[in-house]
Amino acid sequence: MDHTYLHSKKILLVDDEPELLKMLQTFLTEEGFENIVSAVTMKGGLDAARSESPDLAILDVMLPDGDGFSLMQQIRTFSEMPIIFLTAKDEAADKLAGLGLGADDYVAKPFLPQELLLRIYAVMRRCYKEENTLIILDGCTVDLSRAEVNKDDEVISLTAKEHIFLETLARNEGKIVTVDALCEALWGDNPFGYENSLNAHVRRIREKIETDPSKPVSLITIKGLGYKLNTRK
Amino acid sequence: MKSFRKYISKYLASFVGLVLILLAINIIAFGWTFYGVVTKDYGDFSPQNMLDTTAASAALDGISEESSAQLRRSHIWAVYLDMAGNIAWEIDMPDEIPEHFTIQDVALFAKGYLADYPVFIRNTADGMLILGYPKGSYMKLQSNYFSLRAIETMPFFVMGIFVADLAILFLAYSFSKRKILKNTEPIITSIEELGSGKPTALSIQGELSGVANSVNKAAYILNRQNQARANWISGVSHDIRTPLSMIMGYSKLIADEGSLNVDVRKKAGIISQQSVKIRELVQDLNLVSQLEYEMQPIHKATIRIASLVRTYVADLLNGGLPDQYSIDIEISANAEITTFECDARLISRAINNLVQNSIQHNPDGCDIMLSLDCTEDSVILYVADNGIGLSAEKLKELRERPHYIESTDDRLDLRHGLGHILVQQIVKAHNGTMQIESENQKGFKVMLIFPR
Repeated sequence: MDHTYLHSKKILLVDDEPELLKMLQTFLTEEGFENIVSAVTMKGGLDAARSESPDLAILDVMLPDGDGFSLMQQIRTFSEMPIIFLTAKDEAADKLAGLGLGADDYVAKPFLPQELLLRIYAVMRRCYKEENTLIILDGCTVDLSRAEVNKDDEVISLTAKEHIFLETLARNEGKIVTVDALCEALWGDNPFGYENSLNAHVRRIREKIETDPSKPVSLITIKGLGYKLNTRK
Repeated sequence: MKSFRKYISKYLASFVGLVLILLAINIIAFGWTFYGVVTKDYGDFSPQNMLDTTAASAALDGISEESSAQLRRSHIWAVYLDMAGNIAWEIDMPDEIPEHFTIQDVALFAKGYLADYPVFIRNTADGMLILGYPKGSYMKLQSNYFSLRAIETMPFFVMGIFVADLAILFLAYSFSKRKILKNTEPIITSIEELGSGKPTALSIQGELSGVANSVNKAAYILNRQNQARANWISGVSHDIRTPLSMIMGYSKLIADEGSLNVDVRKKAGIISQQSVKIRELVQDLNLVSQLEYEMQPIHKATIRIASLVRTYVADLLNGGLPDQYSIDIEISANAEITTFECDARLISRAINNLVQNSIQHNPDGCDIMLSLDCTEDSVILYVADNGIGLSAEKLKELRERPHYIESTDDRLDLRHGLGHILVQQIVKAHNGTMQIESENQKGFKVMLIFPR
């Protein structure tokens, strides 16, 4: 799934280290993001969140005039924009992981640029769906917005579960998605004993998207772990 | 605590010994001092013997010279009465003694004194022999009658009282022993906890409260030092993170910058890789110190352990595992449906450290196997590789040598690297055990066993 459509989104960066802000700006710009605003204080961050109405905020937990958590609470009074926290403390990471504070994700410092990018894309894709969601596979195309597969001039429709299944895999294209994550996407929490139903869905999806369902090339089984969707760019 | 109980028991035994020794000393002291008096006053010149010898040589008409001489030597006077109560003969009789005795006189002095002289009598065939000892030499019991029952039961009374005394003594002793144990038990437990480096707080009233205060003070100081050390490490690791983020970020940017010379990009790549290693080290160091001083709150939750292991492996593969390595996963049917109460972040961390260990020690590549099995009462996790392994010697060192952060030994050959010790601490925090098997060139296998 292509994520260049997200590059026009506006990102707000708030961190008390101007040097770090500069670096973040540099690699976000190099990645292709066009609209980046930044602030070094909680007050500046709040003002920017109001006046610029960004599509995503990346907040440091420790700010000179307050902490990121209370900044988030204030932003939440007027906006539902997705928020990613940066933290330099394991304790804060624990707090973020353990409690549902309303943050969308967090990244512990120090981080590699691609680690932060991965989170940014994941959060943004969850919040801002692409209008035209076309997946090009070997031998067919899947149109997620219409829940349809186009194979050899034939249009095959997808069931709701098949749609969720393919969408989950497409969001992580080329990456392994565990059976646990798939079961959770399909049936919600604690999916004990759903593996058999999952296999049934996989069989049916392969019949719809693969040229030879007994020798799949797009929907690949990763033994013991889960599945992977190979797309053609 | 056991040692203290033993100490008290030993003390009790020595108390019994002391009682026995005291008895022996009493007997010896009695023999030494009183025996002399007894042999003298109850010896040859005792009234019994004197009466025997004198009576044998005395008759109505007189006494042998030898006997009278002996009486004089012993300052004893003698009188012989005939059947009518008149004096037949006398030896050194004092003036205050009358010449004639009535039946009443005899009855009175027979069991007592005659003009304050202790006198002893012996009936003979034709009269009565009276021996008079010097005034104040003997005491006579004038009311010397006891009921027979009293005499017969006396030993039992004496023994009974003695035994009762002993019983009371031992009761008092064992009571005080129990009281001492009860009062000292919390102190000893606290000192033991202190010895193992755990924080402790003792609350005792009464005589021992001073000791409790000292223990609490020591615990407080120890705890504060540990806290300070953990805070220091956490502070340093916090301060290092932002600069390290910049190093990681810019080196990666340079490494990925297509317009640059390949050589420069390669070098930046190395900086990036090494900075990732520093990050791992800083995180490990902080976590180790937090766990070591029990500053790290453990966030336990009931999770599906199979899902955790799968997610870990998928993330590792998605993050890109170099081609020379492979990782396989094996989850038993039992383990598939097992939930386990643990800190998921820490367990993931332990698995990661073991896997990264295999990767680091086998630069030429290896196959890594992760298996999960569950029994009725435990969760068993294996992380194994088929790499170069460890020699028997190195394995022994890994099992027995203390890690440098646990040792004050400053020799340079101590083990380094925090991965292993962090795994140990995570296992300990979950009350589990860890086993290592390895042979030279035959792989390395770690087994973590957690109670469910």
